[in-house]
Amino acid sequence: MSSNNRNTINIVISGVGGQGVLTLAELLAKAALNESYNVRVGEIHGMAQRGGHVVCTVRIGPMAKGPIVDEGFADILVGFEPVETLREISRIKKDGHVLMSSHIQYPVAVSMGKAEYPSIDEITSNIEKLTSNITELDAMNLAKEAGSSRAMNMVLFGAIVATDLLPITKETAIDVVKKKFPGKFEEINVKAIELGFSKVVN
Amino acid sequence: MTKVDTLLEDTPGKEVLLLANEAIARGVLESAVRLVALYPGTPSSEIGNNLARMAPHLENFYFEFSSNEKVAMEVAGAAAISGARSMMVCKGPGLNVAADPFFSLAYVGVRAGMVIVVADDPSMWSSQNENDSRYYALMGNMPMLEPADPIEAKEMLHKAYEYSERLELPFLLRTTTRVNHTRAPIIYDDIPARPETVSFEKDPFRFVPVPAVARKRHPWLLEQIEKAREISNSSELNFFESSGDFGIITSGVSYNYVLEALSTMEIDAEILKIGMSHPVPDEKIKELLGRHERIVIVEELQPFLETHARRIAQLQEINVTILGKEQDYFPEVYEYTPKIVMNAFSKMMNRESPVDWEDIEDTKKELPELPPRPPLLCPGCPHRATYYAIRTATRGKAIYPSDIGCYTLSISPPLETADILFDMGSSVTTACGIARVTDQDVVASIGDSTFFASGLPGIANAVYNQHPIALVVLDNRTTAMTGHQPHPGTGLTGMGEQVPGLDIEKVCEGLGVRYVKTVNPFDSMADLVADIRQMLDWIRENQAPAVMISKAPCALLTAAERRRKEERPSPYYVDEETCTGCKRCLNRLSCPAMYLDTETGKAAIDKDLCNFCGTCVDVCPVGAIMQEE
Repeated sequence: MSSNNRNTINIVISGVGGQGVLTLAELLAKAALNESYNVRVGEIHGMAQRGGHVVCTVRIGPMAKGPIVDEGFADILVGFEPVETLREISRIKKDGHVLMSSHIQYPVAVSMGKAEYPSIDEITSNIEKLTSNITELDAMNLAKEAGSSRAMNMVLFGAIVATDLLPITKETAIDVVKKKFPGKFEEINVKAIELGFSKVVN
Repeated sequence: MTKVDTLLEDTPGKEVLLLANEAIARGVLESAVRLVALYPGTPSSEIGNNLARMAPHLENFYFEFSSNEKVAMEVAGAAAISGARSMMVCKGPGLNVAADPFFSLAYVGVRAGMVIVVADDPSMWSSQNENDSRYYALMGNMPMLEPADPIEAKEMLHKAYEYSERLELPFLLRTTTRVNHTRAPIIYDDIPARPETVSFEKDPFRFVPVPAVARKRHPWLLEQIEKAREISNSSELNFFESSGDFGIITSGVSYNYVLEALSTMEIDAEILKIGMSHPVPDEKIKELLGRHERIVIVEELQPFLETHARRIAQLQEINVTILGKEQDYFPEVYEYTPKIVMNAFSKMMNRESPVDWEDIEDTKKELPELPPRPPLLCPGCPHRATYYAIRTATRGKAIYPSDIGCYTLSISPPLETADILFDMGSSVTTACGIARVTDQDVVASIGDSTFFASGLPGIANAVYNQHPIALVVLDNRTTAMTGHQPHPGTGLTGMGEQVPGLDIEKVCEGLGVRYVKTVNPFDSMADLVADIRQMLDWIRENQAPAVMISKAPCALLTAAERRRKEERPSPYYVDEETCTGCKRCLNRLSCPAMYLDTETGKAAIDKDLCNFCGTCVDVCPVGAIMQEE
């Protein structure tokens, strides 16, 4: 039984409501299902979505029964935003892979001067207390380069696939995205995946 | 292929990745359900959203967003009594609203299958309390099934209809957030045809529970529950699994955590997985209690199964140690995680945790304090403008009863316009109570959907009893918080038909409110503030309720509409020369699209987040915020 459990791949995706966290989780799972893996996705809907902190979990493998990825169990932590990456860092397992977008979205408490936003160096050095395996990219810039600021999640999709930690090929990723969003955004989405992918591979 | 097309596909055997709520919507087709009625509530919302999209494509199927849960229960209950399979869906607190018909429905029973899906919300991700609806099953004498994941959610729905018809009783299907909002691979079954018509056969001495009838129906109901207990004892929904030195009784999503914990910690135990949690399978529980010296009960929230296990052990005179919440191995609050289960096993068995959580805790303590990011009113939300005006007009000194919806988020600084809240519709009624015992101004707010769901009786009360309250109806033309469902004011039905929407202004006038005014919160901030002051003056003078309808569509709808039309309004910006850095916009309006540019010390607007409402323009005291030409 335990060997099966070790085969489970746990992904935690952390971001801000409205950034496309849920869609990314769904697409990751669909891609894994297309490759014939058992999957579970845990989502947060409703109140927690309104510009607040959002976490989704994706679990791939035969022992993925429930949706939750606990502290110390995540193979990959994907952060849409620096502070939101650090907020979930305790979920990462020893030497797990952190994939962080460096684009900042200030919480209102910071804008009101009631809280401080830590520096990127401070965030990175704190992540390093748990893992040295960090990939940083500006998903917002790359999304804009692809044609839309809304394609941040697609950039990160490409980046996750490029880490080679999941049983998902870039072709499957693109295929799943094309099926989910046929039409005028197809070109932007595919370009965003490619940009995210090559950023990590290089 | 859109999600609706996917859900409608007649492709038995096909495997599709679905959210449990989508799987339940699909299950409605596979169970030949004829009518579904509900009022939306997270975490059950997507069931209705998907059914509403599917309904126009289906023959002999009716779907409605009822005006509230009590109404939905009555509509669906009557359909099942008429002989058509039906479903009612709600969240935990929604079942409280529907509790009145719920109890009678169990007494009279149904002719065709009826399922009440109730979604509880441990950890209160989007609810005002942690209802454990299993106690409704117990108190109302209604059988209940409890799936552990999306796959079981659909399978159990089919079983629920089968059992419901066998016993002529409605069945509860109880989910929790971690089931509703989990995606898993779902395998499609056949879609049978739905009956074209059914006809109501009269039997008033069954279906009208006047005392003489109800007295006879209560023993009948208890007999049916005994039959349900037989089903519970023989049904494959309650099953034994694995073997080992001790026994585990578990249900719902906790079952998964038990499997994962046993596997991770390499522990062997015999599991009794309870899928039918009311009535509990007494015989199966007795068997397990007899086979082991120690039994562990793993269930979220209240000790429901645990109490039953202790009851059965006492009745059967079985000497067994039952470990659960009563000895503090498990918490009675919030949802469970595999970690909670693993920690409990570690404690019970004196074993090491599989992960060094203490080490993680220590590392967490070293992390810097992170700025909080609670849910907020969206950029461009019309409620923000209205609340800004309410606070300005009342100088923050009035009492602000709130209600259930996005606008409850105004509890956060700097708007701080949510002072008291019980449930749907309580803004109006709590305002009445406060106005009667204090001399303070009372400005209550309620959303348009909530207004129709539960606001109307409160308004009738305020008018009849002449309560001096101001009620602001935040009419954003949708049920925004749960995912943009229509309501009686929007003019769109659950079947996708356009109908005349009810006019909130006329409804209030019809209820006898003498002061009613509709405003657009984006028109002019100065006028809006003056309007609120005028309303409060009128209330003081007339000692009667007044209503203001602040009407502008939800920012998310506006943004979607704009994208569809490919409109790109000119962006707003802060003129650095003019801005004095007073931060009034940041400190008083707190739009998430605005931030302090730390280099210049002046306000700035994030163009990717701005939703072009322009409220900030009116808020700036020096006219530094402008729209590009």
